[in-house]
Amino acid sequence: MRITADEKRATRRRIVEAAVDLFRSQGFETTTTRDIARAAGIAVGTLFNYFETKEALVASLAAEALSRAHAAWKRERERTSLNQRPGLDEDLFSLVAAELRQLRPLRKFLSPFIETILSPLVAARKSAADELRVAHLERVTELVGRHGVADVTPVALQMYWALYTGALAFWAVDRSPRQEDTLALLDESLQMFSAWLQGQTDGSKTERS
Amino acid sequence: MPANIAELIAALPAEADEQATVPDELPTLCVSPIPVGRFRRLSALGTLQAKIAAAYLFRWLRGWFQSADESKRTLADAHWRNALRMLDSMGYLRGAVMKIGQTLANFPDIAPREFVETLEKLHFDAPAMHWSLLRETVFAELGDEPRNLFAAFNERAFAAASLGQVHGAQLRTGEEVAVKIQYPGIARAIDADFRNLFLFMLPARLSADWENTKDQFDDLQRRLTQETDYELEATNLRKARALFREEDGIVVPQVYPQYSTSRVLTMERLEGHHLRDFMARKPSPEERNEVALKILRAWYRLMYAGRMLYVDFHPGNFLVLPDGRLGVLDFGFMIALEGAEWELFRKIDRPLTTGRQEDRIAVVKEWCDIRDDETDRLRLMDDFTAWEWMARYRGGEFDFGDEAEFRLGINLFAELIRRRYSRARPNTPAIARSQFGMRSIMYLLKAKVDVWSLAEEEVKATGWDRSDYAVK
Repeated sequence: MRITADEKRATRRRIVEAAVDLFRSQGFETTTTRDIARAAGIAVGTLFNYFETKEALVASLAAEALSRAHAAWKRERERTSLNQRPGLDEDLFSLVAAELRQLRPLRKFLSPFIETILSPLVAARKSAADELRVAHLERVTELVGRHGVADVTPVALQMYWALYTGALAFWAVDRSPRQEDTLALLDESLQMFSAWLQGQTDGSKTERS
Repeated sequence: MPANIAELIAALPAEADEQATVPDELPTLCVSPIPVGRFRRLSALGTLQAKIAAAYLFRWLRGWFQSADESKRTLADAHWRNALRMLDSMGYLRGAVMKIGQTLANFPDIAPREFVETLEKLHFDAPAMHWSLLRETVFAELGDEPRNLFAAFNERAFAAASLGQVHGAQLRTGEEVAVKIQYPGIARAIDADFRNLFLFMLPARLSADWENTKDQFDDLQRRLTQETDYELEATNLRKARALFREEDGIVVPQVYPQYSTSRVLTMERLEGHHLRDFMARKPSPEERNEVALKILRAWYRLMYAGRMLYVDFHPGNFLVLPDGRLGVLDFGFMIALEGAEWELFRKIDRPLTTGRQEDRIAVVKEWCDIRDDETDRLRLMDDFTAWEWMARYRGGEFDFGDEAEFRLGINLFAELIRRRYSRARPNTPAIARSQFGMRSIMYLLKAKVDVWSLAEEEVKATGWDRSDYAVK
């Protein structure tokens, strides 16, 4: 039996919705792929045609959220007039903040995802999460470039990634009202990173000259 | 550097060679939330002025233990050292601590002007928020973008506020508003800091006045926490606004609750001159007295009809509007006069009205819990109280611009501090701040006001039976 693209999309959406419901009601850890398949009304085998693992499913949800976030962030940047150009720390802050807004509905079950997939402890491998990492870091590289830091070293990027995923992990379990502590943490840490990075570059310039 | 300041600095607890011991009752310190904001990197005691303030505090606190035995004194020293270290990490206190230190450096030859300026600067510092952080804070608090909530929103702050900043905006319905926004998480950080700080001080229970002093600290802490709660400020604003009628010429900004939370406060924006600007325009004595009269009326109205004490006297909190009305801003730091507090105010009305020393002494003894054998304490407290109430006693025009008169009060207050006569009702430090704040503003205005008549008009709102002492 041939399955049309429309049907495929509909099945995919059913799976995602069923998964989100289950993650919310019983948690990410206790939900099995079997539970998801049953709730979506499909065979487990069929589920695997769409998502290899439940982590991949969350990664795909996160990817969608992040892509919405980046579109919104770009629109917001276009609104900002040229004479109000923010500093690097604010630029980075606005990028991460835009992501957090879109990730918010997933927050409750995002921490295992961050732990198992985004963590700097996980070796890079070809996966949906790997694409997320690359996409985010490319954006950061571009932003940093706009602020006069031409080549960002792999070490700087690794440090940024550790900071970014650390902030995400903090946010995922942040119990402060409306996660206000995460905002303060991001403000502080991105300011430190920006100052370090820009100082780093100035320093190396001086050394070379 | 004058010798006594060098001595003071030397009195500061030395950086101990042994690691300062953390008392057992400090579990919260270890699990305190992630440091919030940039406050921690600004060392509060980093400057000379701040060190002077800390040294004064330290010497004062240590003075309580003069009679204690050696081991207890050592223990207390270790705790003060920890408390000071903790204080040092509270960067948001930087401005206030520095300002106190600057003033104390001139102590005791402090001029009224310096005293006035110190009171003005006693506030929490908060770092500036960039637009993106501000936007996120508004989004988190009010659920939408500033541009969707407001017809216009100025990205640049027009004023710094305690723990946040104020932005001009326009509502979709056309009203110009001021939006006060708090740095995220700072209120909880302060709360946690103060709880820890007081735990450090708790073991120091050896002095007779200690329990009472601790109550005063607790009271201060409660008030600091109150100040970070914008919802409470909105309630105060609403309550205060309702107390004034058109003929009073006094206006308290309206709150827009749909755009307000505990961290965001949206109020009517009043346009006018702050007192400093007003004074810079060299107003005539009549104009100055008019403004002073309105400030005093507002103070008494809030006290007697509103049963709340306005504490935060700061020239920036009073606006002279183009039509001559007075705008009163900032209701974050108020003392509610309820229950026993209100009863005491009722008792104070007698000496305030009769001006008789025996009436005053009865109230002072009760207020400060002074025993019959503490003659020196009673004499000094009574002198200070007489100074506080003088403007009202005398009747007729009182000259608030009299420097010698103002200096007398400062000197009496300084003497009380020197002798560590700290025993009093818990809210006394806050009430003293209100008193001195009011006097400072009046001094700034060089005002001459008939306080007696004004107070008599306002006291009537209490409905107290004053038949056995009030002048007909």
